[in-house]
Amino acid sequence: MWQEYAIILIRGIGLGSVYALIAMSFNIVKVSSGILNFAQGNMFVLGGMLAYAAVALFGQPSFIVWLLLIPVAAIIIAVVLLIQGYLTLLPLSYSDDQQSWLITTMAVSIIIGAVLLLVQGPNALMVRSIFPNVPLFGMRVPAPFLLAIGLAVFWYVVLQWFLSKTLTGLAISALWQDPVAGRAAGLKVRRLQLLAFGLSGLIIGSTGFVAAPIITIASDSAVAYVLNGFVALVIGGVASNTGALIAGPLVGVAAMLATFKIGGEFQGLVSMLILVGILLIRPEGIFGSTAARRV
Amino acid sequence: MLEVSGLCAGYGRLPVLRDVSFSAAEGEILLIAGENGAGKTTLLQTIGGLIKPTAGSIRFEGRDVTGATPEDLVPRGLRLVLDGHRVFPELSVFDNIRLGAVASKTGKVAFDTAVDQIFEVFPILKQKANDKARSLSGGQQQMLTLSQAFVSQPKVLLCDEPSLGLAMALMPPIMNFLRSWAKSGTAVVIVEQHVQLALAVAARGLLMQRGSVVFDGTADEFAAETGIIAAPH
Amino acid sequence: MTSKISTGEHMIAARPSTARTGPSILDRSAKIQVVIGIAILVVATVVPSALGLSYWIGVINLATIYIVASVFMGLLLVDAGQVSFGHGAVFGAAAYAVGVACGMHGFSFPVGILFGVAAALVIGILFALPALRVQWFYLGFVTLSAAMVFPQMLFAFDSLTNGLNGISIPFTALNTPTAIGLSILSILSLVLGSLAILTSAIFPKTKLGRRMRVAAASPEAAQSLGISPGRMRFTAFMIASFGTGLAGVLYPPTVGFVSPNAFHLDISILFFFAVIVGGKGQPLGTIAGITLLYMLPNVFLAQLVEYRPLVYGLVAFLVMLLMPSGIIGGIVRWLTLRQKPQAMPALQFSQIVDATQSAKHPVGDIAIEIEGLRKVFGNVVAINNVSMNVRRGEIHGLVGANGSGKTSLLNVLNGFTNSDAGSVKVNGKEITSLKARDVAHLGVGRTFQTPRILEQLGAWDNVQIGLDAKLSPNPTRVSPAFVDSLRDTLGRLRTESIPHGQRRLLEVIRVILTDADILLLDEPAAGLSPEERVAFAGLLRDLRDKLGLTIVFVEHDLDLVARVADRVTVLESGAVIASGDVASVWENPRVKPLFVTVRHA
Repeated sequence: MWQEYAIILIRGIGLGSVYALIAMSFNIVKVSSGILNFAQGNMFVLGGMLAYAAVALFGQPSFIVWLLLIPVAAIIIAVVLLIQGYLTLLPLSYSDDQQSWLITTMAVSIIIGAVLLLVQGPNALMVRSIFPNVPLFGMRVPAPFLLAIGLAVFWYVVLQWFLSKTLTGLAISALWQDPVAGRAAGLKVRRLQLLAFGLSGLIIGSTGFVAAPIITIASDSAVAYVLNGFVALVIGGVASNTGALIAGPLVGVAAMLATFKIGGEFQGLVSMLILVGILLIRPEGIFGSTAARRV
Repeated sequence: MLEVSGLCAGYGRLPVLRDVSFSAAEGEILLIAGENGAGKTTLLQTIGGLIKPTAGSIRFEGRDVTGATPEDLVPRGLRLVLDGHRVFPELSVFDNIRLGAVASKTGKVAFDTAVDQIFEVFPILKQKANDKARSLSGGQQQMLTLSQAFVSQPKVLLCDEPSLGLAMALMPPIMNFLRSWAKSGTAVVIVEQHVQLALAVAARGLLMQRGSVVFDGTADEFAAETGIIAAPH
Repeated sequence: MTSKISTGEHMIAARPSTARTGPSILDRSAKIQVVIGIAILVVATVVPSALGLSYWIGVINLATIYIVASVFMGLLLVDAGQVSFGHGAVFGAAAYAVGVACGMHGFSFPVGILFGVAAALVIGILFALPALRVQWFYLGFVTLSAAMVFPQMLFAFDSLTNGLNGISIPFTALNTPTAIGLSILSILSLVLGSLAILTSAIFPKTKLGRRMRVAAASPEAAQSLGISPGRMRFTAFMIASFGTGLAGVLYPPTVGFVSPNAFHLDISILFFFAVIVGGKGQPLGTIAGITLLYMLPNVFLAQLVEYRPLVYGLVAFLVMLLMPSGIIGGIVRWLTLRQKPQAMPALQFSQIVDATQSAKHPVGDIAIEIEGLRKVFGNVVAINNVSMNVRRGEIHGLVGANGSGKTSLLNVLNGFTNSDAGSVKVNGKEITSLKARDVAHLGVGRTFQTPRILEQLGAWDNVQIGLDAKLSPNPTRVSPAFVDSLRDTLGRLRTESIPHGQRRLLEVIRVILTDADILLLDEPAAGLSPEERVAFAGLLRDLRDKLGLTIVFVEHDLDLVARVADRVTVLESGAVIASGDVASVWENPRVKPLFVTVRHA
């Protein structure tokens, strides 16, 4: 009995670390430009596809090759996000209508999904982990669950250092608090925002690559990841990476519990109820300071 | 230091500035006064690079900088401080000051010296260095925005209504700070409605009306023209 | 202090307004768009029927239904400021209710309509409840997840919904052409579509529409005008769900079939995209949006089945890149750019109040009575045991350093924040437990440090919302000539082009128009030039002497306070350190430090 719960717990935390990473990649773009990038889910799936492509090209990679391929995948997705970021920010600079990103980021998500469907068809891709299952508490846990936890901690540490210790990171984290004051202070606003998009690409690309064996890599699986990442973001508090790191696993465990106990078709409902519940009880999240409420 | 000639600008197609010319020399404080909507803020924002001029020229240290953006202007030493004591509310006081040095590439030593000077003039900022900027009062936030500009060591400082929303008793330390700043060689251009306060430290005064400069003279001439007497010395 | 600066002659003159024609409800652009829009719907409906093209009849009916749903989605988004990515669930619920009622239980279509609209309203209420607490993209995600869950639930409860198989209902009678050549269904879609386009144009010009916009743009401003933002959001969801429900009930007869796959997230996104890609707030917008996003990929490029989502995504993306205000919004902008913009003339204070009026104010000498008031935020005591009163018909100045609690006090006086202890009586009535909107109804109006002149509303609308909030049917106390000339001037202006200093004054005018007899003004003179301050002081005196208003104002300019205030209260660290007439308070040694001393260089 307890073993079943241990499985749920470990897998939930692993999957939840993926949600935490998605939330962190949301955060950095959000604090610099106010944009919530709906296409982030597809970027994540693309990262997973790179893992599939790597196997298709090189066969099952050795550990060293696999390790080297992580930054490669991260950089490829970062470039894709740089292009997306450039195009998303473009209309914002010449129009007073500042909500076009709602549509453009969703449209990019639809476009990527459509291309994946054309290239790949409706079926999900399977990626086999290069690591054997890890024995833990007398059961065998697929390694990517544990790797995802490690990756979340890694990116958390990197982001905390970058955003508070370096001047560039500090500027990125401050920009959206007052973009005009930022401009007046001579900050290169557009360039910093693009940098944030790129960074979010590094995070999400590496996540997709590492977690590939435990996620659904399909043309229509992105929305569910965006949604769960967003739930983690809200529970943790928007703009708080610490919150994301803690909330992600909570969401993951809840989702696993729902799948095991009530059945997969209710997983969406459970996520939604968690989201609604949190927003009703504590709209600013656990670590958030800027409230979702405007009254 | 700063020469503006024939400057025209506006929002969209709505003209606000009409043929504005004036100059500011290093080490002096220039006051710009005028009614609500006369174009004072637009003038500062155009010089500071936030609004593109439609005609005329802006010269800074003898070089043409018309239409340059703050990204270019701040590293060269021209810095605008917006009205309404705008800080980055979620950052600490010290991080707000640090951000002031990003664009200007102020060296470590110069930065530390500048911070020491600031903490000497505004000890409250030192006391609250690790607090979030949103916890400061309006007056302290105004001190902070000026400090943020100070560490970038500009040669020309444009300061938009430093008194807006502040208790008047808070103004003397801020005005005195600007005065000693100017003495170090910076040209300070301030827009201020509390003309009395500003005239006490300004060398010259400029009066704007509906987008044009209608008077330009020394502080004393300005006082005589407008009938406003500088705050008691 | 005297001034020789001329104040300029360029001011709003009080012109006689006898020649004024009644204000037209719709502006020219909206009128033209409504006419074109309805004409398009009529032609598109009549032509295929006349030619007997049954495929096209179905396509046009479905597109019209989608347009209706998008119009109501737009009402939610543009007028009420609520982001819903789940509008497809409302639409789907209505369609499924008809399907279940008529297809599985044999009810007639009119009964099905009742079920459908009821189902839509139920989903609407489910969306409205979180909307009472959260806003913007938070709400967007809640509704998005609802839209994802909706088809899953249709599967999960397959005994009720027939699950994957869906429900097939022919509705032949509705689809048979009548005597005039159109089927009943076509007539219903056409009428509903035309009404929807008309609604999208007229709604923003109604009192409810304006109040919804205020509530969306600034909940504080709304509350201070006696509007409940929560109630406005709820109303918006109900109206939107009702309209979308009507569209949804026409879906089963049009398609002849309902299945879970028809109501995926995609349809919610389609409605949302149609509004923005077409042009937010433009009556023709949803027609353009649905044409581009639904007709183009699904009908005109129907052969390229597998490229549909790609075309759809690309069209939306490119339109937003090239025309961030949407197709129709972009065209309207381009057309209006060629008109010469107008500058805002200065406001002439002396003309605002032109006649003495016998005020019918509540009786009693004390307007506001504060006793032992205390408010703590975290570990900061914002208001510390404040007791003071404001006499009826006096101008009362509130002064003190930044952070001394002046604005906190105003916030308690108009009900924004609840105090921790003490009592506040306004016109003799205890208000400490009342909400801001209820305090507003008692005749307390206020302005804000940052003026709430809202760019989501037209320039004149920003003043008119004051008239909307009028507490009594009495004629307005502001000079009618001034109101007329202001309406003329502002009617031709864009809100963005109102200079910041003028916004503060417009806000003061707005609050006078509400008939409030107690005005709370937060730094009303900030940013005014010395001579404008003189004129403003005159306005405050007029309000007191001619209209008998009671005014409490926070001000840093002690000269202005001395010039106009009857009495003054000085705050320090949340506590009253002096209160009384100006002369005696100014002599108080504890007040002296507030005065300016500039050391000589």
